[in-house]
Amino acid sequence: MRNLLLIIAREYLVRVRTRAFLLFTILMPLFVGGEVVLPSKLMTRAPSERRVVVVAADPVLGNAVRAELTASHFSGEEIGAEPAESGNPPPPQFEVSLQGAPSEALRQQLTAALRQGSLDGVVWIDPNAVATRKVTYYSRSVSDFVATSLVSRALRMALGQRQLTEHGFSPDQVKTLFTPVSVDAVRVDKQGSSPSNGLGALLLPFVLLFAIYMTVLIYGIYVMRSVIEEKSSRVLEVLLGSVSPMQLMAGKIIGVGGVGLTQIVIWSASGALLGSGGYAMAHRLLGSTIQDAHIAPAVLILFPVFFVLGYATYATLYAAIGAMVNSDEEAAQFQFPVTLPLLFCMLLATSVIGDPNTPLAFWLSMFPLTSPIIMFVRVSVSMPPTWQIALSIAISVASLYGLVWISSRIYRVGILMYGKRPNLAEILKWLHYA
Amino acid sequence: MDFMLELDCVTKAYDEFVAVDHLSLQIPEGEIFGLLGPNGAGKTSSIRMMIGITVPDSGSVRLFGRPLTRPLLDGVGYLPEERGLYKRMKILENLVFLARLKGIGKQEATRRALQWLERLELGAWAHAKVEELSKGMQQKVQFIAAVLHEPGFMILDEPFSGLDPGSSLQLKNVLLELKKQGKTILFSTHRMDTVERLCDSICLVNQGRSVLRGGLREIKSSYGRSRVQLEYEGELPLLDDPSLVAGYNDFGNYVELCLAPGADPQQLLACAMQRAKIRRFEMVEPSLEEIFLETVESTKAVPSHA
Repeated sequence: MRNLLLIIAREYLVRVRTRAFLLFTILMPLFVGGEVVLPSKLMTRAPSERRVVVVAADPVLGNAVRAELTASHFSGEEIGAEPAESGNPPPPQFEVSLQGAPSEALRQQLTAALRQGSLDGVVWIDPNAVATRKVTYYSRSVSDFVATSLVSRALRMALGQRQLTEHGFSPDQVKTLFTPVSVDAVRVDKQGSSPSNGLGALLLPFVLLFAIYMTVLIYGIYVMRSVIEEKSSRVLEVLLGSVSPMQLMAGKIIGVGGVGLTQIVIWSASGALLGSGGYAMAHRLLGSTIQDAHIAPAVLILFPVFFVLGYATYATLYAAIGAMVNSDEEAAQFQFPVTLPLLFCMLLATSVIGDPNTPLAFWLSMFPLTSPIIMFVRVSVSMPPTWQIALSIAISVASLYGLVWISSRIYRVGILMYGKRPNLAEILKWLHYA
Repeated sequence: MDFMLELDCVTKAYDEFVAVDHLSLQIPEGEIFGLLGPNGAGKTSSIRMMIGITVPDSGSVRLFGRPLTRPLLDGVGYLPEERGLYKRMKILENLVFLARLKGIGKQEATRRALQWLERLELGAWAHAKVEELSKGMQQKVQFIAAVLHEPGFMILDEPFSGLDPGSSLQLKNVLLELKKQGKTILFSTHRMDTVERLCDSICLVNQGRSVLRGGLREIKSSYGRSRVQLEYEGELPLLDDPSLVAGYNDFGNYVELCLAPGADPQQLLACAMQRAKIRRFEMVEPSLEEIFLETVESTKAVPSHA
C-alpha cells in the first residue's frame, strides 16, 4: 500500500509539475474563455443603425415593411423573449425611408448611394412580389446575417399581412395570427416531470461526453507513454525489486487519472467563472432554449461513476499496449484498435442522444467497451430503467476486472521483453504465463 | 555455512534459446562473488532470476535461506546492467523515490543520498536531471540507488562498465569497505583485473552453464603448476614435442608454455639447456584472463544456433 501510494504520488507530481501541464491547464480556459467572452463583449458594444430604403410600387406594402422593420425588434416577437438581462446586443436599428415607382434610374442612383456609404441597404420590391414572394435586398455586405434575417422577416410579415388583408381579415386578426407560439418541452420520467428544453438537454450530454472522451484519450495515452518510458529506461527492473507489476500498473493508472481529474476540476472551476460570458453567448446562439437546461441530480452522481469506469477501462488497455511495444511509433499500430470503440461511441452518441431507447443504444450501453460512455449518454438524456443502469455498471466493473487481469499478465511479461514485437499467438501465450 | 543466495539447477529458456542451463551456485555470506562469462553467457539472465524479475522455467532460487519472494528483496540492492533511472527526474528525487519504495523515510533517504553523492563526487549534481549526466556519472548514481537502503546483499550487474579508471578505483574501494562491514556482494563482469583484486569466489558461466567455480585462490593454484615462462636465445624445437609441451604462446620476448600432463619441469629445463641459451625459466600462475579464455574455449559446445 505504501508503495502504491508512492507510485501514484510520483506519477501525479511528475506530470503536474511540468511546464506543459501548467500551460495547457491555464491557457485552455483562457483561450476558450477568450473565444466566448471577447466576441460577445465586442458584439454588445456595437449597436448599429442601418439606413435602408424600401422601394415599392405599392405604398401599402412599402409602409407595412417599414412598420415591421422599425417596430419588430422592440416587440421582439420571434427572436424570443429577449430578456433585458441576457446581455444580448440590441438588434440593429433601422432608419427606413420609402420610395415609390421603381425604375432603372432609381436603382442606379440607390446602388451608387450604397457604394458611397450614405445608405446601408435597399429593399427592392417588384410589383409582382406578392405573387412570386421574391424580393431583392442590396447591401455592401451579404454576410450581415442579423440585418438580412430581420429584413426577410419583415417582408414575410408584410407580405402575409397584405395577402390576408386582401382575403378580408382585419389587421387585429392578422396580428393574432402572427403571434409566435412557444413550446414548453417537459420531460416525464418515473420521478415525475421536469421542465427541460430540447436544445439544453442535447447540449449537456455532448459537453460531458466530450469531457469523458478527451480525458480517456489524452490520459490513456499518457499511461501508455509512461509504461514505455519506464520500460525503455529500464527503471522497471529496479522497481520490480520493490513493487509488483500489478501495483505498478494500478499506481500509474490512478496517478495519471488524478492528473486528468485535476485538469477537469480546474477547467470546471474556470468554466463556472467564465460561465456568465459563456452563458450569454450560448443564449444568443440558441435563444432562450438553453435557459432551463438544468442537470438532474442523478446525472451529477452518475457522471463520476461512468467517468471513472470509462477512464479505468481504456487506461488499462493502453497500459497493456505500452507493455507490449518498445516505442511510441510501434504503439501507434496497437493504439488504433483500442481507440476504435471510443471513436465508435462518439459517432453513435448523436443518434443515441436523439433516441436513447433504441435496441442499438441499449446494446451499446451493455457492451463492455462502450457501456460506460453510452450508458452515461442515455442517463443524461432520459433516465433509463434502474435495472439497466445497474446492469451496465455491473458489466463495466466485471469487464474492467477482466481487463485488469489480462492486462496485468501482459504487463508482467511484456514489460521485460525488449526488441521483438509480439504477435497475437505470443500475447495469448503470455496470458498463461507468470 | 550460511548462503545468502542459492541457485539450484536453474533453467531459463526464451523460445528455443536456452539462456541459463541447469545453473547451480551458492554465495556465502560476507564474500565478494564474481559472476564471470563471455558476452551472452547468461549472466544477466541469471541475475534477473535472482531478483525475481523473471521466473525460472525449472529449478529454484533461495534468498537468505528461503524461497524467493518479493518482500525478501527489500534486503537486496540491485544495479541493473543498463541505466534504470527516470531520465527527466532530478538525481536526488530519483534516489529518494527508490529508497522510499524500500521503506526508508523521506528525510533519512535524503540525508543518505546527499552523503553518498558527496562521497562519489556528485554533490554538485544533486538537483540536475539524470539525462544531463554522463554515462559514467549515471552509473555512479545507479550504484547509490542500489546501496541507499543499506541492504545486506548487493547484486551488481556490470558495475564497472562506463567508469573511468579513477571512478573504477573509487568503486572498488567502496565495495571493499562494504565487505568489511559484513555485506555480501555479487557482481558480474568480464574484467578480470577487477575480479582478481576483489573477489573471494567466482563462477564462470558459458552458454548458460557453470564451467568453473570455487575460491579464486584454489582455482588459480590448481592451474598454476603447469605453466612455465621461458626466455632464451636460439632455436627450441622441443616446443613441438608433445610428450613435454601441451601448447605454447610466443610473446616475442619470451614463450609461455603449458606442460604436457605428467611432464617434469626439471626434464624440460634440462632438455632446453642442451639446445639453447636459457636466460629465464620460471614456473608461473596463469592470469585469470588466461583461465577464462582457456575454459571458455575448452567448454565451447556445438554452437546452439547451428
